[in-house]
Parts: sequence; C-alpha cells; structure tokens
Amino acid sequence: MIGRLARIAGAYFRSALQEEFAYRGDLFGNVIRSVLNLGTAIGGVVVIFTHTETLGGWTLGQTLSLLGIFVFVNGFVAMFMSPSLNRVVEEVREGTFDYVLMKPVPALFLASARRFAVWHVSDIVLGAIVLGVALAGLDVRASGWGVLLFVALLACGVAIVYAIWLALTTLVFWFVRVANVTMIFNLFFQTGRYPIEVYPFWLRQLLTFVFPVAFVTTVPAQAVTGRDPSWLVWVAPVIAVVTLLAATRFWHFGLSRYTSASS
Amino acid sequence: MSADIRVRSLVKHYQVADREGGLRASLRSVVRRRHRSVRAVDDITFDVQPGEIVGFLGPNGAGKTTALKLLSGLLHPTSGEATVLGFTPWERRREFLSQITLIMGQRQQLYWDLPALDTFLVNKAVFGLEDAAYREAVDLLVGLLELDEILTKPVRQLSLGERMKAELAAGLLHRPRVLFLDEPTIGLDVTMQQRIRDFVTRYNATTGATILLTSHYMADVKALAERVVVIDHGKLLYDGLLTGLIDRYAPHKTITLHLERPVDRADVAAYGEVVSADEVQVSVRTDKAQAAAVTARMLAELPVADLSVEDPPLEYVIDQVFHRRES
Repeated sequence: MIGRLARIAGAYFRSALQEEFAYRGDLFGNVIRSVLNLGTAIGGVVVIFTHTETLGGWTLGQTLSLLGIFVFVNGFVAMFMSPSLNRVVEEVREGTFDYVLMKPVPALFLASARRFAVWHVSDIVLGAIVLGVALAGLDVRASGWGVLLFVALLACGVAIVYAIWLALTTLVFWFVRVANVTMIFNLFFQTGRYPIEVYPFWLRQLLTFVFPVAFVTTVPAQAVTGRDPSWLVWVAPVIAVVTLLAATRFWHFGLSRYTSASS
Repeated sequence: MSADIRVRSLVKHYQVADREGGLRASLRSVVRRRHRSVRAVDDITFDVQPGEIVGFLGPNGAGKTTALKLLSGLLHPTSGEATVLGFTPWERRREFLSQITLIMGQRQQLYWDLPALDTFLVNKAVFGLEDAAYREAVDLLVGLLELDEILTKPVRQLSLGERMKAELAAGLLHRPRVLFLDEPTIGLDVTMQQRIRDFVTRYNATTGATILLTSHYMADVKALAERVVVIDHGKLLYDGLLTGLIDRYAPHKTITLHLERPVDRADVAAYGEVVSADEVQVSVRTDKAQAAAVTARMLAELPVADLSVEDPPLEYVIDQVFHRRES
C-alpha cells in the first residue's frame, strides 16, 4: 500500500516538475522572489537588533536561527502542502473534484499529495542555509540527541500545520468559497517569524493552544539553539497527534457530507 | 447472466438554498437560509445487462446526472439500492472504482499545460497498471480515437473535440467494464459528435463494456442506444426499446407529398394533421396504423409527384413524452 501510494505521489511529482519546466521564466522569477523575501526578513531582524540586545530573551543569532526554521517550514508547506489543498478548493468549486473521488485511491491522499510547487525548493534550501550559518555563529554544540529532538520537533510542527490547513480546507464542503480562510491561516502562520515570547500574553496563549504556531518555529528553535527547552517540547508530539487525528476525522466527516448533500 | 447495473427504488433528495433575486434577498440569505428539498431521483428501478448501451434521456434538471453520480459512487442515496458489477457504488471500494469510469463532457481532468500523455502516465500509476496493460490500452485507444498527433501537444493547444477525445482516452486507460458517459458530445460540432459516437460503438463492440450515457443530442441516442431510459423530475417515465418509445408516445408517421399542382389545403387536411404546407409541398401527420391506407388514398386522389413516409423526429417524440406527463 505504502509503495503504491509512493509511486502515485511520484507520478504526480514528475508531472509537477514538467508543468514547472513548461514555464521557465516563472522558475527564474521565483528564485529571485525567494532571495528578496529572505533579504527583507533578515534585514528586519537585524534592524530590530540595532536597538536592542535581546528580543523576548532571544539573541540575534537565536532569532536568526528561528527565522531560518520559519523560512524552511514555509517553503516546505508552500511546496508540498498548499498546492494540493488549494487545488481541492478550486476543484470543489469547479466540480472536477468528482474526478478525484473516482480514483481508486483514498481521497485524503490525493487531496494532500497531488500538486507540488517545485520552485519553492529555493525557500527550503535558503532556510536551511540561514539556520546553519546562524547556528555556526552561536557556538552551540550539537549532540546526536539534540539533532534527533530538533528533527522530531520540526516534524511535529509540520504535522500541526498540515492538520490546521487540512481542517480549514475541509470547510470547502460547506462553504464552497474559502479563499479567505487561507488568508487567515497565513496571517497566523506569519507570526511564526518571531519567537512567541515577543507577543503579549493573550496572543501567546492563542498561538500555543488555539492556533499552535508556537510548535512550528519557537519550540524547535528552542531545542536547537540551546535555550532552555520549555515544557512545550513534551507537549508538541501530543498536540501533533491530536490535531492530525481531529483534522482527518473532520475531513472524512466533510467528505461524507459532500457526497450526501450535493446533487 | 446477472445485470451489470441493478437499480432498485433509488431515491436521492437534496437541499438547495432557496432565495428570491435581488440584493435584499441576498442579504437576508446571509443570515437565514431557506432550504428546499429537491427530489433529484425519485424511486427509480432498472437493470442494465453486460455489454448493453443504454441511453439516459430527460430534460435539463431531470436527474440524469444525479443518477449517474449515484451509480458511480459519488453520492449517497437517500434510500433504495443499487449495485454495479456486484458492488454498492457509494461504498467506493477500490475494486469497484478500478472497474468503472465516469466521463463528463463539461468537466476535464487533463493537465491543462501538459500533453495528455502526461495525464495518462499519472493515471497509469493511480490505477496501478502494468506497463504491458498500459501500452495495450493506449494502442487500442489511439487506434479507435485517431489520437496520434493529439497526445503530445499541450492540452491547452487542443481543439474542443480533440480535448474530448483525449479525455475519453484518459478515462478509459484502466479498461473499465462499466462506462458512465455524461454528455460526452456536448458543445462539439456535428462531425466530431459523429466521431465520438463511432468511437463509443466500436469501443463497446471491441471490449464488451457496458455503457450508460446521457445526451442532449437525439442523434447520439438514436445512433448508440437501442434501449432508452427516460426520466423527468426524478421519475422514470419509460424504459424500453427506442422504437417502443416512438410507438407509445408518438405513434405517427409523417407523409410528405410533392404535388404536381397546388391543391386546396382543406383537401389535404382530410388525410391528417397538416404539419407544414406550401405551394406544392405538404407534410401530413397521421396515425402509424393508418399510414399505409392514407398513403394509398393520397396516391389515388391527389396529383402526387413524389411521396415519402418518415418516423417523427426523436425531438418530437421526447417532447411528447414530457408534454403528456404535464397535461
């Protein structure tokens, strides 16, 4: 089953590559866009630190590490998640989602791993570079355990983002037009550029428990930059599993509603 | 042999938001929506045998597409039963979905910016086709649909007809045993409609696939399906041979005369209902049973130069079916 799904995802990925190469000019423009975005983001952080030594208790190097993680995750999400999930929204509106349901493959798989925005690979690479350079300047010694913990936390963060986005996408089965939902998602997601400690108390709670962006960047960054890991480290896997389960259940509920209510 | 498609008392109701036109009604509908239940499919029963081509007829909104969606597993019914190849469609089992296809003339699944061949390769992976089976299917479809030059061009550069051919091929690569075709010829010019029809006939003859198709074009139904199922407002009005439909709802013949000289219209009206008349050409509609006798009398009594006897056009027949229901 896994092998079969991997082959299917591979076939879709190849098509995505070919689609991308059909528009080479686009490809070039997107790399420039990545570099410019990153430049502005780093510039912003550096400007803040000309006025202060620490930001919410984070040093410049630590904050830049966190920014690297943000750019990395952002690129990962933009490359692997949002294209497929956004396509679902379009297809439900256009009526071509029926073709997805006609395939002898679980609909959730096709909804999640069918479209890829290949050129966002530049964000992923740049994010990793920023993280690497910032960490080198921090002089933290990475133990095998530390790396493992960081990767696990990053995976939890990505899983949480996927779960939230899947749940928001599922709303399409009720409301058909949910483009605004993506905007709301991005609004919250962008708060992940900075450590959660910079935000006021109420927003911190919101970003930890309601819209858990804290687990996407702050928590992995704490682990990798040698800051005292908060208790949130141990909560991350729990939140990841719970949100994933809840989101997939919600998806199946929405899908069954779609197949029973539409014409 | 058991039926490929078996439908028993199938019912599908669904809710639609109901509101009057205008901004005020729009605003009101944001806060409170009124819902109205529509009976899209209302107690339908029929069977389709293996290898049969059945035409599904009905005006817009009659419930044809809803019925096809129920049978292809896209919708859950409100009540009733259906099996397709022994499976309950809406359980959406993998074995079921691998053996059927739904092709909708108005909706496309091909990648817009890529050649159709790339969509084929994706479908190959999705359906888990072996290389040999895939090549065999492509060869068959390329032959039947004359696809040679179409498959390597980006889909956006194809004409509507070419795109439809490629869509058909993409939906048939996995050699489905049951085909649901929803308006496969819609929007195509007459020549291309004819090509698609020829394809469906030959595909049916070559593979023995069972085909249920809907169409607006009577020519499609006439050319493809001996048997038709007529529905309107979700109810099944007729199920049987196309010829039987004509006998039951429009048991007429149209006799067209070319006259040697103009005659008084009243003289012609004595033979039947005058459909059209000009100087020397007159069409008269008469009961099928009496057509022979009427023709003989006309030949004896009128200055006939030429004469033809025809079945009424199918559009007229269908119109009669729905008209009779309403009156």
